[in-house]
Amino acid sequence: MPGWQLGLLSRPFVRFLGRRLAALVLLGIGITFVAFVLTELVPGDPAAANLGQRAIADPAAVQAFREHYGLDKPLPVQYAVYLEHLVTGDLGQSEQSHRPVRSDLSEFVPATAELAVTSILIAFVLGISLGILSAVRRNRLTDQVLRVISLGGISMPTFWLALVALYVFFFKLGWVPGSGRLDPGVLPAPHVTGLYTIDALLAGQFDVFVSAAQHLILPAGVLAAYNVGLLTRFTRSAVLEVINNDYVQAARAKGLPERTVVLRHVLRAALPPIITVGGLAFANVMTGTVLVESIFGWPGIGQYAFHSATTLDLPAIMGVSLFVAVVYIVVNFLVDILYGVVDPRIRVA
Amino acid sequence: MSAQPLPLRFAGVFSRRPGTLGSAWRQPLAIAGMVLAGAWIAIAILVPLIAPYNPLTQSSQLVLAPSASHLFGTDELGRDVFSRVLWASRLSLPLAFFLVAMAVLIGGVLGGLAGYFGGWVDEVVMRATDLVFAFPTIILAMAVTAALGPSLRNAVLAVLVVFWPSYARVVRGLVMSLGQSDYVSAARLLGASSRRALVVDVLPNVAGPVLVLATLDLGNAVLLLAGLSFLGLGAQPPTPEWGSMVNTGTQYFERWWMGTFPGFAILSVVLAFNFLGDSLRDALDPRSSWAVQR
Repeated sequence: MPGWQLGLLSRPFVRFLGRRLAALVLLGIGITFVAFVLTELVPGDPAAANLGQRAIADPAAVQAFREHYGLDKPLPVQYAVYLEHLVTGDLGQSEQSHRPVRSDLSEFVPATAELAVTSILIAFVLGISLGILSAVRRNRLTDQVLRVISLGGISMPTFWLALVALYVFFFKLGWVPGSGRLDPGVLPAPHVTGLYTIDALLAGQFDVFVSAAQHLILPAGVLAAYNVGLLTRFTRSAVLEVINNDYVQAARAKGLPERTVVLRHVLRAALPPIITVGGLAFANVMTGTVLVESIFGWPGIGQYAFHSATTLDLPAIMGVSLFVAVVYIVVNFLVDILYGVVDPRIRVA
Repeated sequence: MSAQPLPLRFAGVFSRRPGTLGSAWRQPLAIAGMVLAGAWIAIAILVPLIAPYNPLTQSSQLVLAPSASHLFGTDELGRDVFSRVLWASRLSLPLAFFLVAMAVLIGGVLGGLAGYFGGWVDEVVMRATDLVFAFPTIILAMAVTAALGPSLRNAVLAVLVVFWPSYARVVRGLVMSLGQSDYVSAARLLGASSRRALVVDVLPNVAGPVLVLATLDLGNAVLLLAGLSFLGLGAQPPTPEWGSMVNTGTQYFERWWMGTFPGFAILSVVLAFNFLGDSLRDALDPRSSWAVQR
């Protein structure tokens, strides 16, 4: 369809893109402001909170810290200093690992990325399928059962589901391996993307791929539960919005099989609103990883956030929050753009 | 206007078409929700009479499997898990109601002002909601609680911080669209004061969508508080709380009863509120209804 391919370079689309980009930058600045205010809220001396017990006894270290973060200056200047550090990637130092939060994060991000992407894929495939099924069989038994199941999905405490799933499928049934990303003794393939499954395929190490995939399936499935519920419900209503439109009736009248009608004509129109769930699905997965990764011994930023929270490692908590929020608004931005591409009405309005 | 799209859990709430509440209560789902929620509220009220043990009393009977004398077994300090699960309802349920009431109040007032006055008031309130929505809920709640110091009180504050904006947005949107609607203009033309227009014509129409959102948020509040306690940021030991009990359960992995039963409690409470909220939405908004014939 050359129409919208050309449309991507049109002025309304460029203007739409510009507006969204400006909103993204403003939100990004807003997020740093929130993070700054939160660090200011910390009761007591921020030097004590950041340096830990040992270093606080050393006046030279405290003085260096105060100067580094401009703590002897007025608040607006402190915020400027804070922003300056952020721009250079300085997120402070973790009290637990005694390393810069940034290096901690970059070490843990690939594991979470692999888990999150897998989980979102599972959720979209399952959720959209179940949603279509529910809409096609609306008001029949299948539909009612799926309604209860999808409500169950969004009511489930993820951390509890993880515990129960691990107990049943690992401990009792032995269907999946236990914690970690690989079986003991299996070495990851040479680092390319940091995603063990992809790296293993790239290196042609099939056994490593199998091990990584086996370790991935249970955590990814548990993390998908909430989003499956959400997407089932959303797909159902999106499909019902269009299923009785005239053009769908026309397709039926042409004698097309119902399967073709639903997959080609109905789903095509129902898909754009479903795309908008992408951002929320991402937020749900990030929420889930914080609660679940430590249960599965998954060495990602979720486990890092969990340990930071339980040990009150403030610089690490703020670093993770800031990072996740920035990724989240970028994901939302991309979802917006994608929606604008798929549905021209959005970018004109 | 650069406001972000609304989080999608409100999809449907927006297409307001006040229907009758009566039909909601004939659905099996609504009945199930009422029975479950009613049972938990009864438990929270009657717990001193029905819990077999003191939830804080430790004994030498450590990590016993479920049996007739300890229905849900005992935990690592020999406390009765069944009694602790029941007692924890006294914490989570009132807090959930309190949280949602406060969020409705704060968000409703701010959103109402934003929608009514527009201009810079609107701008300030909406940008504040944008900021909150820029974070996944538990991430922001975690950061807020950690910054204020881990305690139940601060966890409640944090949940409030992440909850109010949805009400502000819904109420603002409704007030704005209703303010321009024909029947409110008609009332104004007839000489009704703006305050009267707000109270008599606008409020009743705002109530339905807010009620749906609030019912669903009762479940979300229970989940979020349990999540924060699971992270060690909410209720502190030895207080019986479902999330922190599940956390203990993860440390005693093979003693499945320690984590499983508190989790069932969370699930059943949240499910009850979601059943109710979903049925309410059906009743108030036939267009998105799960049960309606098309």
